[in-house]
Amino acid sequence: MNVIHHEGRESAWQRYVKDIPDNNYFLTLSCILGTLYPGSEAMVPKLYDLLGLNWGTSTDAQSGWTCCSAIGYHGDIVPIEATLLTIARLWSIAQEAGMDAVTPTCVTSFGAYCECKDLYEHEPGLKKKMDRLLKESCGREFEIPKYLVHTSDVYYRYRNRLRDEFMKFQLVEEKTGRPLRVVDHVGCHYSKLFPEKHAMGGVDYCEVLSGMAKAWGGENVEYPERRHCCGMGFRQCMISPNRGATMASVYKKMKSMAPFQPDLILTNCPGCQVFLDKEQWAIYEMTGEEYFVPVLTYQELAGLLMGWDPYNTAGIQFHTVPVEPLLDKIGIPYDPSKAWVGLDGRPLEAAAEMELVSAGESGNG
Amino acid sequence: MTMRPFDLKNENYPGHREGAGLETDRIPEDAVLKKHGEFISFLKRSKTSVDEKETFRNYLSDLPDEEVIGLYEALRDEKIEWEEGFFYPNIQYLFGTAFEREKDYREQQLWRENSQQQREVTRWYEEAKEKSCVWWIENHIISRHSISSCMSCGACTALCPAAEFYDFSPRMIMTIVQEKDEAEIIELLKSDTIWYCHQCGSCKPKCPRGNSPFGMISSLRQLSQIKGYHVESVRGRQQFAARHLWGGNLWNRACTLYFRNPEPIAHRDFGPRFALYFKHKEEMFRRIGACPDMDGSLSGRKVHPDTLDEVRKLWQAGGVLYLWERIEEAARRQAEELGISLDSYHEKVKSEG
Repeated sequence: MNVIHHEGRESAWQRYVKDIPDNNYFLTLSCILGTLYPGSEAMVPKLYDLLGLNWGTSTDAQSGWTCCSAIGYHGDIVPIEATLLTIARLWSIAQEAGMDAVTPTCVTSFGAYCECKDLYEHEPGLKKKMDRLLKESCGREFEIPKYLVHTSDVYYRYRNRLRDEFMKFQLVEEKTGRPLRVVDHVGCHYSKLFPEKHAMGGVDYCEVLSGMAKAWGGENVEYPERRHCCGMGFRQCMISPNRGATMASVYKKMKSMAPFQPDLILTNCPGCQVFLDKEQWAIYEMTGEEYFVPVLTYQELAGLLMGWDPYNTAGIQFHTVPVEPLLDKIGIPYDPSKAWVGLDGRPLEAAAEMELVSAGESGNG
Repeated sequence: MTMRPFDLKNENYPGHREGAGLETDRIPEDAVLKKHGEFISFLKRSKTSVDEKETFRNYLSDLPDEEVIGLYEALRDEKIEWEEGFFYPNIQYLFGTAFEREKDYREQQLWRENSQQQREVTRWYEEAKEKSCVWWIENHIISRHSISSCMSCGACTALCPAAEFYDFSPRMIMTIVQEKDEAEIIELLKSDTIWYCHQCGSCKPKCPRGNSPFGMISSLRQLSQIKGYHVESVRGRQQFAARHLWGGNLWNRACTLYFRNPEPIAHRDFGPRFALYFKHKEEMFRRIGACPDMDGSLSGRKVHPDTLDEVRKLWQAGGVLYLWERIEEAARRQAEELGISLDSYHEKVKSEG
């Protein structure tokens, strides 16, 4: 009976294992990540190069990539037909570049790509209609990409190789050898929209981030609100009077995870990264509760563990919750005097403001 | 409901504290387009009071459309050498201004009137506007794919993050949709309710019938705007701000979020470290290899006008300009009814709630 049960589990798991091709990636970038954590985005090409991959993005000004328009779609100012066309154009550029795997850094883009593909599969005649509109509007042709792969899937695909060949540090406390406790926060539009087809491990047992954390020496934290949305909510976060719902969602998650004493939160969604990081400050101001758990993108975590420069490459100074206490735990060296300097190395006037964040240095992180 | 959203009127909310934000950017010394020199200098000082925005409007009202658009583009494309490439110093003075909103409105009108682009999608939406809401639910591509049959089990509502903080029930929305009572649907479209959804999609994988409540809500929001019902609710009329924030970025910079958007003055909950970074964001961007208002392929890059032209054609073909026209028309009508300027209306809808 046990064997049969085991096989059943194995077979159920296979339904949620997605194919991640090992090469030929077309990279599309994220509006939110590029705005608030541009280091995370700039590290992806560096990593693709480090792994010796064949990848591309359109740097040709005449046919450059653009936003996928999906924030506009979920923010209700862009009809689906326009999003289908915007994405068809991006896929067209990818195909011109000879790439059959489109890898967005943005989870909203990823969800929208998957939704477009799903609509083409289930709406008779839609592909032909969009073919015609795209051709008539800008003379392009497109095919549905063979693979829709989030960049976190690529990092997951190469997690062991990154550890074995490139990482200088592990997710382990230097002084004690204790594995660090990692909260994985997977973006809703990665795992919840099409869990069987497009999310590594599906919605409840999504492994894309926890797989990285485990491979890199950490210990995953299971807590009650693990799969709760961060509350970003498109119009909830961007229209100021609605922001209270976003904060409340983050607060709910922080309260739920705090008893498990997490060392860091790992994200693959730009929106989640922003609000899990930034709203910890507002929560502290409004409730006095100091969570201050560092929130890192998987790009930042991989870069830092490989010994890439915390300030000039990863850009940890973009964070509201200071990351330096986490670097201390792992034993990653850094020079704090390099945090707030200009391009020419001159110090920026930081002292007064930095005092305000001293609470973060002594926080739970 | 077990919790409430954070009360932004709470006196401890960082947004209420003086000095929590930092000033934004340095103003470069350059001067362009002598004819509009005074206006440009005003532009660089502005983003301030509604009264000053009225000055903008008065100045622009005397200029023909082509001159307004030409002035905007000349400013947008002016460049100076910086580091290893070109920096476009004026974009920071254009984004999110009354000037940009007025230019966009006029420019999009011209696109709608003169463009030879495909009108097939727009025609569908124009016809849908004249039909019943029930017809929409039965025919709009997203609503059709969002419901097969709902058995009102409530799984969607049990795990909905918005339902936790608002008086909001996706189950009730699916029930109303399924009952196809026109009057009840119209009432729903005029209410705040549909606008509470986070569009996270948490409901979709848990529906035992394979429905997508968040997809249905997305479709209903489009319908609400096509019909002009959205301005009947506080949350709905925020779409005028959304249309210019995300829509302004899309139309002018081919992104939905521009790296200068999250100004600390409006995002004090992001904390002082963020404010410090934002003050020096151009240098911080350059340190990690990004392209703030520069040519290039990474974050913050200036989008080439030809690329912009290409995606604008797609948005025209995809019905975006028709939807924006509906949002603009409803906002202008309501502003007039309230006896306030369009800029005051813009301030109102993005700050009330």
